[in-house]
Amino acid sequence: MSDYTKYTKQEMQAYAIAKNIKENQIVIVGTGLPLIGASLAKRAVCPSCHPIVESGLMDCDPVEVPRSVGDNRFMAHCAVQWPNIRFVGFEANEWLHDEDRLVAFIGGAQIDPYGNVNSTCIFGKGDYLQPTTRFTGSGGANGIATYCNTIIMMQHQKRRFMDHVDYITSCGWMDGPGGRERAGLPGNRGPQMVVTDLGIMKFDEETKRMYLAYYYPFSSPEMVQENTGFEIDVSRAELMEGPSPEIIRLIREEIDPGQAFIKVPKDK
Amino acid sequence: MTLHDAVEKYVENGDTLAIGGFTTNRKPYATVSEILRQGKKDFIVYAGPGGGEVDMLIGEGRVAAYINCYTANSGYTNVSRRFRAAIEQGKLTYEDYSQDVLMLMLHASSLGLPFLPVRLMQGSGLMKFWGISEEKRKTMPKIEDLKCAEIDNPMVPGQKVVAVPVPKIDTAIIHVQQASPDGTCIICGDEFHDVDIAVAARKTIVTCEEIVSDEYIRRDPSKTRIFGECVQAVVKAPYGAWPAQCYDYYDDDDAGLKEYDKASKYQDAEDAVKQLEKAAAKAAKALEKAPEDEKLKLAAENAQKAFELARSGEKVPETFKDYVEKWVYSCADQSALLDKIGGSRLMRLKNEPHLGYSTTH
Repeated sequence: MSDYTKYTKQEMQAYAIAKNIKENQIVIVGTGLPLIGASLAKRAVCPSCHPIVESGLMDCDPVEVPRSVGDNRFMAHCAVQWPNIRFVGFEANEWLHDEDRLVAFIGGAQIDPYGNVNSTCIFGKGDYLQPTTRFTGSGGANGIATYCNTIIMMQHQKRRFMDHVDYITSCGWMDGPGGRERAGLPGNRGPQMVVTDLGIMKFDEETKRMYLAYYYPFSSPEMVQENTGFEIDVSRAELMEGPSPEIIRLIREEIDPGQAFIKVPKDK
Repeated sequence: MTLHDAVEKYVENGDTLAIGGFTTNRKPYATVSEILRQGKKDFIVYAGPGGGEVDMLIGEGRVAAYINCYTANSGYTNVSRRFRAAIEQGKLTYEDYSQDVLMLMLHASSLGLPFLPVRLMQGSGLMKFWGISEEKRKTMPKIEDLKCAEIDNPMVPGQKVVAVPVPKIDTAIIHVQQASPDGTCIICGDEFHDVDIAVAARKTIVTCEEIVSDEYIRRDPSKTRIFGECVQAVVKAPYGAWPAQCYDYYDDDDAGLKEYDKASKYQDAEDAVKQLEKAAAKAAKALEKAPEDEKLKLAAENAQKAFELARSGEKVPETFKDYVEKWVYSCADQSALLDKIGGSRLMRLKNEPHLGYSTTH
């Protein structure tokens, strides 16, 4: 028997995602944790949301957890199968029409205090042409970060939260107030928060710099500062309560029973 | 026409290839395998969101330039490993675009546009860093001179937009569910960029799960997606997307994609020995810091053993070269491949109609 009163960092993160999805929002998800979070929102926290994926599959409600955004598991259980270009056009038109219905989850390897994200490569001893560590590349993230408000998913580690990222794959608030406009990007869109395994960061309305908004029952403001590679304001931090046993039961038994993305700790 | 003859006739060395499908869905593996078997090379490759199919072309050294937006067997391999190694070793000529821009570029090709203005990539590394410099581009006749250029929107004074080139595609390769001899295609599920590249390419090779008659395919024209006159070759290749998925037909092959994930860690036996030596040294170093740690001790012993077994040739792990030998070169054609995969394994991949995927893949 699984003990639903105990939960892992990842389950807390998935719950934090679900809690930040609002009524009727159109939610751009990838695979992994954001999908688990969105599935949880759809089933328990906010059933009126509409998950969509960048391959062009709209209003997805998969039965089994998909492993890629083009997976048959999404394709067989959605409202519309659009080609990717329609998805791109849709996100751009949402901005052109001044709609505020979209929220998107993106991930990355490095992030700076203004929410600029790198998911292309880490230069290390090399450079862009021959980096020490190469990742997939942008995928849909750059376009999403251009036109949509985003929630960024990260592992909270010092080497990932840094003053300057090697390569900006997805633009955040650039270098602070007015930065997006100067770069030619929509100024009324941008990163809203960063959800990590230690807490939820938001961006100051004036300075656009990241600050700690919430920590979890098992983390603390000190832990967050220790694991952040730049000065972060923790003075406004509040405690976010953990998920109820029913939420944990849903994740383990109904949403990801195969433990494709969330591993359940073995009973001791 | 056989797949051998189609590839021999319509794929030329140095072609700009556009590959259909999406990471692990409807990727035209049968045709990519035949290209590998025939030794064709020096391609400029657009794969949309790529996966193992483009990773194999890179690992086999057939790619002169790869125009990338995302390359992974998502859910199995987070970053395709031969793609990653080739870049980290400075061996691959490549360019990065965002997926949105790359897919719009392929769509622009299908529309015959002279260039494409977008409001994407601004402020990002995608504009700042060029994989292929302007000088180098000028020596590559099939690549446009510029990756991108910020220009004024002539319709809206003061507005900056980004101009990107429209690729000229020589050969499109796609895998579909049904086609008829005259080239008409039915694609079930998401079409991805496949229709775009079929229209844009000078030559299109279609493999399909089933060939149906020209009359039959016209029974419901709301289902047909590609006009036959855009297609040069139609070849029946059942399970032609294996180990990827094919909507309405089969799921991805869990075992096949896991095998590729493991094997593609090492280019060949020599690379495996080198990497296992590094891993053993790393594990030994970790143990030095905490000599009492039982777990680290066991890990260091195992790493050392794995290295020694590989060095002596007693037990070398499966490598990328082994994988392509086993699943590509040693199979004369798709039929031989299916025999090797085996009937019961293929049956387990069949989609369950009420779900749209397989629960036994």
